[in-house]
Amino acid sequence: MPDTELHPLGRFAPPPGMRRRRWLDRGFTAGATAAALLAVAVLALVIASVLINGAPALSWRFLTHNPHTSAFGVNTGGIANAIVGSAILIALASGMAVPAGILVGVFSTQFAGSRTARSIRFALDVLNGVPTIVTGVFVFGVLVIGGRQSGWAGAVALAIVELPIVGRSAEEVLTLVPERLREAGLALGLRRWRIIVSIILPTAVGGLLTGAVLAVARVAGETAPLIFTTSFAGPGLSVNPGGSLANLPVTIFDLSESPSPTSHAQAWAAALVLILGVLILSLIARVLHDRSVAALRR
Amino acid sequence: MNPPFPDPGLGLPGPATMPEPGPGVAAAPRVEVAGLRAFYGDVEALAGVDLEVPANAVTALIGASGSGKTTLLRCINRLHEEVPRARLEGRVTVDGIDVYGPAIELPAVRRVVGMVFQRPTPFPSMSVYDNVAVGLRLAGARGPAVRETVVAALEVVGLWDELGHRLGVPAVSLSGGQQQRLCIARALAPDPAVILMDEPCSALDPIATLRIERLIGELTANHTIVLVTHNMQQAARVADTIVFMMDGRVIEHSPALELFTRPRDVRTERYVTGNFG
Repeated sequence: MPDTELHPLGRFAPPPGMRRRRWLDRGFTAGATAAALLAVAVLALVIASVLINGAPALSWRFLTHNPHTSAFGVNTGGIANAIVGSAILIALASGMAVPAGILVGVFSTQFAGSRTARSIRFALDVLNGVPTIVTGVFVFGVLVIGGRQSGWAGAVALAIVELPIVGRSAEEVLTLVPERLREAGLALGLRRWRIIVSIILPTAVGGLLTGAVLAVARVAGETAPLIFTTSFAGPGLSVNPGGSLANLPVTIFDLSESPSPTSHAQAWAAALVLILGVLILSLIARVLHDRSVAALRR
Repeated sequence: MNPPFPDPGLGLPGPATMPEPGPGVAAAPRVEVAGLRAFYGDVEALAGVDLEVPANAVTALIGASGSGKTTLLRCINRLHEEVPRARLEGRVTVDGIDVYGPAIELPAVRRVVGMVFQRPTPFPSMSVYDNVAVGLRLAGARGPAVRETVVAALEVVGLWDELGHRLGVPAVSLSGGQQQRLCIARALAPDPAVILMDEPCSALDPIATLRIERLIGELTANHTIVLVTHNMQQAARVADTIVFMMDGRVIEHSPALELFTRPRDVRTERYVTGNFG
């Protein structure tokens, strides 16, 4: 204890170790700020390098034409088939994973006991942690061996990657729906499924969509599951998932493996298309999220 | 679903909930509770409650927090059993029919016994209209009858005059007092005979409270009301009889005036005079 009697500020005398505490405080603030700046800087660097390297090869023709290999082995066309193929793959995968994921969330929040719910959550986290190349090999072993590569196989692989993301986010959103709404529904004599369909899901719809969009953004760039399942596509536009579908990640991979500098520039351009797509999806998710949080807070 | 609760839409047989209650007083049912014990896991919330709730009257449950008021309320419409690990013993009858009887379906119980909660609970995804209509549609009502009933329920709670032309607005855009009256309208729409109210005014300002208290008085014309309140002035203002509870038991059940002026039990006296412990 400082001698408050003697200090000119009396009882307002600075407590001991004040200098040290001030420096510690500054140190932590600086460290946290630097870490935050680093995270933003990494993103900025990635986007900037893709933009700088990809913009030159990006053109309307590049977006709207199918690949066309010239006599020198260089693509003089575009990546329209990959853009369409990726869209189809993602749509099919989401068609499987989003309803299933939401149902998983419904089950674990509305029907399961707390122990079961914890086990489901753990299972989803483990599934989420499975390296996507393992998912790719798994689907390859189950669906491709003995048959052939197909858009369906690719979509199943992407759906397996999406499922835990949708399921976990659905679970988190659904637990935000106040318990009193469920009770109010019960008190009106509504059955459990009716409460879920008419009250709980509509209340949480914004958050559920956010999770779905984030999952889509996540799998849009997944390459490993597709290399095993839908990587040998022809140069033409195909919309038939029964056969291999061209897609952006594998196209980027192929182009960057090619020795030609033109192909490298095109790989960057394709990467730019992909990253812009993901960026737009993330923004949509952000807007949906803000809206749904606002709606739940009311 | 046979004898006891014959028609899910109409509730109890006999004069209890005739579809057209008529201008005068319609007899609402009595609620009787006998030997009721309720548990949350190993915790006993009600330790043997016997109670007769008179028909067409407001019965207020008062007592300290944790005395079992809300649990008792939630045993009457069987909401208690929705809590994980909750269970109960004993009987609850509405006009002589055991609501825990084997032939009784849960939705039927909850249509006969409506409930209003402590905090307004409008369904956020629904409009004002849909909030009131949802219980009716569930009961199988369709067509113009739904609209008529919704309008009637909104008229009773005074919301029709306030927002009659704006029934499509989201329910959550209303003020707190309006939301609570909306919840009362929602509870009234399926025409329950008994209405349970769990501190319905605790989240409201004095003016909104006054409106709802007046409404509660009017509702006794057609309904039996059980009201949980922490506010003794409110109990005195709206209740016909008051039940004082402590530690999961009914200590005293007396006409309102009597309980405040001549309490029979010394614990009641201590509680109502604020000299507890």
